[in-house]
Amino acid sequence: MQGNDHSVVRAVLVGDKEAYGALVRAHSAAVFRVAFRITGNEADAEEIVQEAFLRGYQRLESYERRSAFGTWIYRIAVNCALNRVSRPGIEAEYRHGEETDPEEKTVQVASRDADPERVLLSQEINAAQQTAMQRLTPTEKCAFVLRHLEDRSMSEIAEVLEIAPNAAKQAVFRAVQKLRRELAPLRGTA
Amino acid sequence: MRHLSEDEMVELYYGEGAREADAHLKACRECSRKYTDFSRSLEEIRPAAVPHRSADYGDRVWETLRPRLIPYEKTASSRGWMQWRVAAMSVGCALLLAAVFFGGRYWERNKTKTADFKDHPQATQRVVVVVLSDHLDRTERLLVQLEHSESPDTAGNAQLQSEARELLASNRLYRVTASNTGDAALAGALDRLEGVLAEIANDPNLTAADLKRVRMDMNTKGILFEIRVLHARSQEQGTKGASI
Repeated sequence: MQGNDHSVVRAVLVGDKEAYGALVRAHSAAVFRVAFRITGNEADAEEIVQEAFLRGYQRLESYERRSAFGTWIYRIAVNCALNRVSRPGIEAEYRHGEETDPEEKTVQVASRDADPERVLLSQEINAAQQTAMQRLTPTEKCAFVLRHLEDRSMSEIAEVLEIAPNAAKQAVFRAVQKLRRELAPLRGTA
Repeated sequence: MRHLSEDEMVELYYGEGAREADAHLKACRECSRKYTDFSRSLEEIRPAAVPHRSADYGDRVWETLRPRLIPYEKTASSRGWMQWRVAAMSVGCALLLAAVFFGGRYWERNKTKTADFKDHPQATQRVVVVVLSDHLDRTERLLVQLEHSESPDTAGNAQLQSEARELLASNRLYRVTASNTGDAALAGALDRLEGVLAEIANDPNLTAADLKRVRMDMNTKGILFEIRVLHARSQEQGTKGASI
């Protein structure tokens, strides 16, 4: 796949714009997934997918063939998502959305048990997790999502976020500490 | 016996822990119990289900994106020709510059004997020290400002944030250079400083409470002290260099 991606990139760079479609089709689902996990918002994640592939196309000449195209576009998408959540007012918008549209928060998979009480509890826990995540700083949130949900190593996180490895590690530590503290009261009820 | 810290448990949980920590965990019953509780609490943080995308999602993204893309116009042959032309022009320019440079040197050497820059590596070093000293001076001022920033004035915080953004990029370069040249003290301090700068630069709504949190979480007083020591050291090096 990687070799194939490289030949597609070469084709795009010599004028075959349509060839880029193959890269978009192959990687858009992965880009959407990480964008959604960072922003927590479907519409924003969709926009980030568009933005990432557009930026990727514009910067294709700087793409170095040492890395896979998938990794490269993933990095661009994480940066787009980080910029999005760092924008003033965005976090507040998300919180507002949660308050006015409680259905938004029920995107989690509920317990297989049909017991309504358990379903309700599971929803409450999920909502609390989302709120706790929104309280993290953008760097902490991105670092945590990449480590905990995307299973990226600390060095990869540092590279993607363009910070020192130790700073990436500290961001994950702080995120874990804050999330555990915020969710501690729920642990007894889970 | 020193028990495991929460940070060490985080590293162990994500499979990046030190061998010593792993051995301690196996030997210490108290840490083992704490770690079980710790991992359970992290396992409970499950990913939000990502909304399902249909199989034609990639096609839809491409259809929306396609009209916005301008094709790269260079064809393979014209690209190759252009590369040759650029290479030939570069070589020509380089030869011309070399001729002018060496001609000038020859003429100058014949005319008058001047001190050779190459004989004084301290001069180059002095430039590096002055530039680094300027960076440390700016970061020191930013940290002092951060230490005393209590006002809820967001305009003042925005200024602090824009300064942090500027410093973040240059700090990264100095840290990598210090690390490559084996200056562990400088690299370590710049590494810790980078964490603080990243926190301030990336915060979407920097309030006085955020600044207070950064001060407490990241021990900015300690970093300020380190920067002051390094700044004094670099100034001393600069003065020594100047007196040579």
